Amino acid sequence: MIRLENVTKRFGDLTAVNDLSLEVGKGEVCVLIGPSGCGKTTTLRMINRLIEPTSGRILVNGQDTSRMKPEGLRRSIGYAIQSVGLFPHMTVAANIAVVPELVHWETHRIHHRVEELLQIVGLDPDEHGPKYPAELSGGQAQRVGVARALAADPPILLMDEPFGAVDPLNRMKLQGQFLRIHKELKKTVILVTHDLDEAIRLADRIAIMESGKLVQYDTPENILARPVSKFVHDFVGTDRALKRLSRIGVKSFIKPAAAIKTGAPIEEANRIIGRGRSAWLVDDGGSLTGWVDGAILRHGQSVDQAAVKAPSADIAVTESATLKEALSRMLGLGFRSLPVVDDDGCLTGELSLADIEAATSDHERL
Amino acid sequence: MNLRRWLAPDNVAVVGSIVGLGSFLLPWLNVKPNRVAAGTGLSLPDAAGGSGAAPILVLWLVCMALSFTVKGLWLRRALGLASNLVLVITLVLAGSAARSLSESAGPFSRISPDTGFWLALVACYLLIFASRRAGDASVLWRSLMSWSGLAVAAILLAAGWLNSLSIMQELAIQGDRFRAELWTHIILFAGSVAAGAAIGIPLGIMAERTRKAERPIFLITSITETVPSLALFGLLIPPLAALSFAFPALREVGIRGIGATPAIIALVIYSLLPIVRNTFVGLRGIDRGVIDAAAGIGMSPGQLFRRVKAPLAAPLVMDGVRTASVQAVGNAAVAALIGAGGLGAFIFQGFGQQAPDLILLGALPIIALAVLVDAVMNALVKLVTPRGVTRSAP
Repeated sequence: MIRLENVTKRFGDLTAVNDLSLEVGKGEVCVLIGPSGCGKTTTLRMINRLIEPTSGRILVNGQDTSRMKPEGLRRSIGYAIQSVGLFPHMTVAANIAVVPELVHWETHRIHHRVEELLQIVGLDPDEHGPKYPAELSGGQAQRVGVARALAADPPILLMDEPFGAVDPLNRMKLQGQFLRIHKELKKTVILVTHDLDEAIRLADRIAIMESGKLVQYDTPENILARPVSKFVHDFVGTDRALKRLSRIGVKSFIKPAAAIKTGAPIEEANRIIGRGRSAWLVDDGGSLTGWVDGAILRHGQSVDQAAVKAPSADIAVTESATLKEALSRMLGLGFRSLPVVDDDGCLTGELSLADIEAATSDHERL
Repeated sequence: MNLRRWLAPDNVAVVGSIVGLGSFLLPWLNVKPNRVAAGTGLSLPDAAGGSGAAPILVLWLVCMALSFTVKGLWLRRALGLASNLVLVITLVLAGSAARSLSESAGPFSRISPDTGFWLALVACYLLIFASRRAGDASVLWRSLMSWSGLAVAAILLAAGWLNSLSIMQELAIQGDRFRAELWTHIILFAGSVAAGAAIGIPLGIMAERTRKAERPIFLITSITETVPSLALFGLLIPPLAALSFAFPALREVGIRGIGATPAIIALVIYSLLPIVRNTFVGLRGIDRGVIDAAAGIGMSPGQLFRRVKAPLAAPLVMDGVRTASVQAVGNAAVAALIGAGGLGAFIFQGFGQQAPDLILLGALPIIALAVLVDAVMNALVKLVTPRGVTRSAP
């Protein structure tokens, strides 16, 4: 989809990008990352020709971009930046409509598209469409920026720290929303960031740059497991193992869990729990409500007396959580295993600390 | 005991009230047996009688009291109203006192406002300024406080109430010439600002676009701005005179060393700096992210300029034109010295004849014109400010 061939950019004596070659496949999210001044933004801006390369070629869909009209090229590539750059004298709806207007869509199609996009990015078209950018919060403005970039349905999206200007909590939300939108629209995305956690969370492949050179281009898992140089090793930091856990979902680690229904007869409970330390407590609908202590049960007490009630939100993780979240919850609660629930709060299984440990060492050996 | 809670003096208002009360003690109207003779000053009670002076004295005292306790919206509004009322009563009294005095002093007598009168006006506007300073959410009250006195003054003028004052007598004598010079003045400043905008806005755009052009453009406009207007008028005389001697055809179309041509050229040059600078700043001040995004989503340079840069820079550009206009209204007065005409002609004639009335006949309309132009241009600035953009303080 996008190919950079031996691209070099010099500003006077400074070589911002040095002989960089990179290929991004269709529908992939490629994250450019590196310390400031490493040339990641310059690389991004050369793709839509806001900056012209000094030498080398950039191909989009096999076509040399230097032979295309810059405006035409840019209209087929979405562009979202950290400072958002919404046009302050236009409403939110008018901002999103700019590119469709530039490529001469019909009015009602534009109108329809604007509403659709506002919904995609989670804003109410009737409420937010007529507002001016000055009336939006930072997070809302970022979302409108992304909506504007997506407006004419470009196959490619360039994003320069699109979530950089919002607080950490909102950034997490926007990242989650980005992943959801990406799953739906399958755009080819090149995203610049300096936030490694963001890169690991969003990227199919990460390109690590150091003073204008591409030093490693690989999946997040591989970059974390096998940094090719001391620079990459230091850049990804000493908590690589922990970071890697944020790439792994809990789903494949769920094991069947022992569950006792509230008010179950003591014999049945004893049979379920066996010699185990504890079992999860569920109500008649299967929803997690706490756990049952095996030792107390074996002393001949009833299920109710041995039960420890706890809200599911406090002790369980959902099936879509990552191992990192699960581990942090285990450490927080002091549990050696953790219940997993589905979206309705029903117990679907459990995770054990030993399995998470095994997962980290598995990848270490890769 | 509770006095302290109410005590909140506003310094400007206190000064205004003191000036107002002080004006009461100074000569208020000046009576001269004829246009060139020395005059005698009459105080307000002497000129307008006790029944006229008493309400003014009371109102000054009210203003003084209010100046010390401007807490609260209604107290400020009361202060604003009181000062406008003083203004109106002062004008009404001046008109009637002048009429009765001129009847007794004979047909050649000249009655003109004296120090006390002018100080009273200054005091009124200090108080109006003070009462408005804290702001008022109500547009009605805001305009009532700023304009009600002026509006009544305009009505009094139009109705001929002030006709016995010497400046109005001067106007009656100069009537046709006054209208002609006023018109010349308007043509001079409006024409040169229009030309200044036509040259200055493209220059500002050019300066913003290329670094090479930026320095020379600002060097030249800044230097010319520092040349005193009289000197600039003078400097233009020799080259234009030489030009018109060399090409007599030019003289036919009005290009000569003196007259309107050098005046307009100088006024155009003066209007350039504010317009060029504001155009430059208006364009340069646009958020870089906005420009980057506009280019990045595929606007051509022309579209970028028309759809983004121009509308966002428009308020500041218009503000530059406003500055240039107000400045040109004043500078055009000096143009009379090189024979360009305009209201300045009365001022310099008045200087020559030692006739203060004639000076005022030139000066007061220039001030009024400047205030009017400022208000109109401010409205234009608001008009070109796009919705969604709050105008930053100029």
